[in-house]
Amino acid sequence: MENELSSVATSTATAPPLARIQTSLQLLERAWARPRNRELVWALLYCSPALIIFFFFTYYPFFRAIFLSMHITNAAGEPVRFIGLDYYLRVLALDGTGRTNYLESIATSFRFVLMVVPPVIILAVGLATLATARVRGIQIFRTIFTSSIAISLASAGVIWSLIYNPSTKATTWLVDLLGLPSPSLLANPSTALPAVAVMTIWSGIGFNFIIALAGMQAIPSDLYESAAIDGAGRWQAFRFITLPLLSPTLLFLLVIGTIGALQAFTQFHLLMPNAPNTVFVYETYRAFWYDNRYGLASAMSIIIFIILLVLTLVQYRLLNQRVHYQ
Amino acid sequence: MKVSGSLLRGFISYQTGVYILLIVVSVILLSPLLFSLSLALQGPTVAPSIIPRDLTNLDWRVFIRVFEEQPVIIRWIVNSFVAAFGVTLGVLVSSSLFAYVLAYFDFPGKTLLFFIALGSLMVPFEATLIPNYLLVTQWGWTNSYQGLIVPFIASGFGIFLMRQYFLTLPRELYDAAMVDGCSRFRYLWLVLLPLSRPALATLAVYTFLGTWNQFYWPLLVTSATEWRTTQVGITIFRNFEGGAIFNTQMAATLIVMVPTLLLLVLGQRQLVSGLTAGALKG
Repeated sequence: MENELSSVATSTATAPPLARIQTSLQLLERAWARPRNRELVWALLYCSPALIIFFFFTYYPFFRAIFLSMHITNAAGEPVRFIGLDYYLRVLALDGTGRTNYLESIATSFRFVLMVVPPVIILAVGLATLATARVRGIQIFRTIFTSSIAISLASAGVIWSLIYNPSTKATTWLVDLLGLPSPSLLANPSTALPAVAVMTIWSGIGFNFIIALAGMQAIPSDLYESAAIDGAGRWQAFRFITLPLLSPTLLFLLVIGTIGALQAFTQFHLLMPNAPNTVFVYETYRAFWYDNRYGLASAMSIIIFIILLVLTLVQYRLLNQRVHYQ
Repeated sequence: MKVSGSLLRGFISYQTGVYILLIVVSVILLSPLLFSLSLALQGPTVAPSIIPRDLTNLDWRVFIRVFEEQPVIIRWIVNSFVAAFGVTLGVLVSSSLFAYVLAYFDFPGKTLLFFIALGSLMVPFEATLIPNYLLVTQWGWTNSYQGLIVPFIASGFGIFLMRQYFLTLPRELYDAAMVDGCSRFRYLWLVLLPLSRPALATLAVYTFLGTWNQFYWPLLVTSATEWRTTQVGITIFRNFEGGAIFNTQMAATLIVMVPTLLLLVLGQRQLVSGLTAGALKG
């Protein structure tokens, strides 16, 4: 192919104009005669809707964000002055000024992950175990356990903001029990994050349940039958059959849950919008939306991207390795 | 006789125990929804109780009154439906076409297209948010349906879901159709897509639900009250009322849940297969 092209190219360089047009037409014709090349044209045509969208709304903005993150920007979001990696250094508290609030919000994000992900997986596995019971009408209960999938974070946030609202008195007992100074769990620094975590757990149970249940149902039932013949009890069957065979599913939930919890925005916007300490994604929103610091916020969003990329790669790695079956 | 009797009794008590557990757990899980229903039915009081004090005097008309007091809710619901349908249709079309190419075509540079689709899955929404917002603002797409729809009508997830499904269908069918002079598009439209109805349904339910429940993007690209979607609407509702009128807000919140709850009940199988698509493939 390359030889062909170069031979045509050298011949066209010296040929008269008409002959040149003829040779290039021949070249096109020859290229079109190859089925693989013809397929390329059709392929590009068929892929063009998605390619155009990916270009304008995924790849261009992604590289634009990297570009903006290295500039001071004006109010219209245009770069004004190149500052290299200064914003990254500032966010990671490496610029020597001693301001650590951005780094603290990253830590808050990971604290939030710890408060949400392990409990939601444990609850989901418990619910899934319960939902494998062979009783009539179990399907109704499965739908109830799944229902939080259909309830948006915004709806959940609105409902829980009223649960935590002191005037509904739904959480007064807990505030009294803990002896908190403010009547709202969301207004006390020590309970605000756990309160948002509880709402997020409630919201995430449906998804985690359905995945855990599907994982359990994929375990061959003859394993349980032979275990029962060998005299294994319910707990032993769970510990030595269900858990090990479920481990790929659990790991999937762990990684997906961590990614999701790190991206949490809606619940923070609704439940603790003015909290001094918040998660990194919400801190990014504040820098972007309220302060119009597009450069700084872009640097923060690229840091989120890197953290999530590492987790995504870990996810693919683990899923490919097929977690130990013992 | 005696043995089977005690076995039966054991079985019944096991069943009863399971039912009690199932019901208790269900009530706990549903309690936030029951709480919101309770607040909705108590009338415009500033100090509602968790469970209505007078169960014979419940204000069911609140679900109608909320539309009279806040007629803009109808517009929010329309906006959400248009956006969710638009995105779903766009994702179905663009994903099917792209997946068709990945599964059946053979041409130089196919790997590059594969990686463009794969790469789109690696870039999270947060990383593109700010330039996307600036771009959409610059194009004058704020407070418009194109602003809510167009950025989402291509989906890497959709492409790979459809590609996986296409690959399970026999390749010989495609080759035979091509030999018989069937055009590529005819094959996609008349053979492949009808055969792929389960995958299309899964993708449609999943995309519709995701778009209906979107919050962050609609919050940014809509500023006029009539351009809000339901999800953003119910939260600014709260700010309007200053938290004083719980009943209408809870009624509105419950109303906007209906479409997705219906989708969950009617399209549960599709939804579950969509959600588990990534989970169980080791």
